[in-house]
Amino acid sequence: MVKGLYTAYTGMVEEQRRLDVLSNNLANADTVGYKKEGTVNRAFHDKLAIKIKDTGNYMNAQNIGKMSLGDKIGETYTNFDQGNFQVTDKPSNLAIAGKGFFAISHADADGNQTIKYTRDGNFVVDRNGYMRTADGDYVLNQYGASNSNPNAGNYVRIDPMREYSVGYNGMIYQNDQAVSQVGMADFEDYNYISKYGDNLYGAENGAKIVATNASIEQGTLEASNVNVVDEMVEMMTIQRAYEAGQKFIQTADTTLDAAANTVGRV
Amino acid sequence: MMRSLWTAASGMKAQQTNVDTIANNLSNVNTTGYKTQQTQFKTLLYQTMQEKTTTANGQQKPTTAQVGLGTRVGAIDSIYTQGAPMANDSNTALYISGTGFFGVKGADGGTYYTRNGDFTWAINQNGDRVLADSVGNEVLSQYGTPITMDPKIGVSDVSFGTGGEIAYKGLDGRYVRTGESVGLFQFANAVGLEKKGSNLLAANQVSGPAQNEATTAGIVTSKISQGYLEGSNVNVADEMVNMIIAQRAYELNSKAITTSDTMLEEANNLKR
Repeated sequence: MVKGLYTAYTGMVEEQRRLDVLSNNLANADTVGYKKEGTVNRAFHDKLAIKIKDTGNYMNAQNIGKMSLGDKIGETYTNFDQGNFQVTDKPSNLAIAGKGFFAISHADADGNQTIKYTRDGNFVVDRNGYMRTADGDYVLNQYGASNSNPNAGNYVRIDPMREYSVGYNGMIYQNDQAVSQVGMADFEDYNYISKYGDNLYGAENGAKIVATNASIEQGTLEASNVNVVDEMVEMMTIQRAYEAGQKFIQTADTTLDAAANTVGRV
Repeated sequence: MMRSLWTAASGMKAQQTNVDTIANNLSNVNTTGYKTQQTQFKTLLYQTMQEKTTTANGQQKPTTAQVGLGTRVGAIDSIYTQGAPMANDSNTALYISGTGFFGVKGADGGTYYTRNGDFTWAINQNGDRVLADSVGNEVLSQYGTPITMDPKIGVSDVSFGTGGEIAYKGLDGRYVRTGESVGLFQFANAVGLEKKGSNLLAANQVSGPAQNEATTAGIVTSKISQGYLEGSNVNVADEMVNMIIAQRAYELNSKAITTSDTMLEEANNLKR
């Protein structure tokens, strides 16, 4: 009886967490390059239930069957489907069509440089001609992206006083000459991507960087791929599942109440 | 549970800023030389909910189960595309085609930059007749000095060349150059210019220093057209679509708050 109480409790906690993840999708419904996240539940490992002190079977344990005592998070997944394009006509806005990420040289508060990856192509060209993110991190060129080298020599740099156009492969042209190439990289296994915040992704130990054949669209941004209908339906499911858990706990409580206060009454 | 409440609240706050920006764009749809702005969002920090995660077939995953904590406004960008030329009967209406800016001397003595070429001939405190914008700030020449004109010359007798060269009609009907031209200035990163209101912009660390088109070698110069003003580059259709998205996103986040609230209430009702 008390066991069931705790099983329902794990379910309610799990629904809370699913709502946490879902609210984050809704909050980022308009964030450039955002990818929808979701939670997968997983049952606790099955436990074998046996009758204790049942000597009917020559002292062998009498099996009743298997039961699971609740659930937990299996994984939080990210749906890396393509988002739609939003035309801005700003030359430094880039969007990736296909699989792949821009490689960013990210400096943390201690000044350590690491490579982060992003689908958010809302860049600016600063007064020295470096292409940077809205937060000031430098965009890496193709050499830096393929070789995971975040050094200053691998930043994308162009002449800030001239117009430029970005080709499908990320090659930047000024005066009909290729001056730099915006770096793109892809992961062999997307399970090795962790989230960093600020629209950035990090690579976990063991991640393998591979080349990508994605193309770049200049003057556009990739919109978030959150689907509002999916989220609303899931929000209803979560709320009702939570309610069901609550009802079960109340039922278990009523039964316990009866066991404690009614059965024992003389 | 409290996490989802705050996450959704961050979304509502961000959308509020988005609507603020859209409203400003729409109110400046007829402002000469106005450049449209766009709000960009970024995700907030991620928290780890659970260290161990497994794939669908039960294998250990290399990443933890992470939950994001909402969104924030990443940047409000100006988009410096060219606005349409609007014909204007004023002889001192100037239109820049290209990336240059006019320079004006503000009331505080500082130099400001603008795309708004709605100028007039005005008399300054020294009694000189100078080219000034509609609030009386003097327009700078290619030398960075005020542009002066003999008070005897009629307004309609002054012409501006494509490079901003100023000439006036002499007594014999021929145009005489004054040697001065309207100064045009460019910036390495015009997006970084600081907005001062009244269509004025100021140079700062981010934009880089002003580069005079007349004296900087190898620069792509802009062209001036007389008798035109630059219309705002706000696209009303875009703004309306953005407004719909912003409103619906706001609504969605409020629904997430309502759901969180209902769930909290249910949790409260566990104990009768």
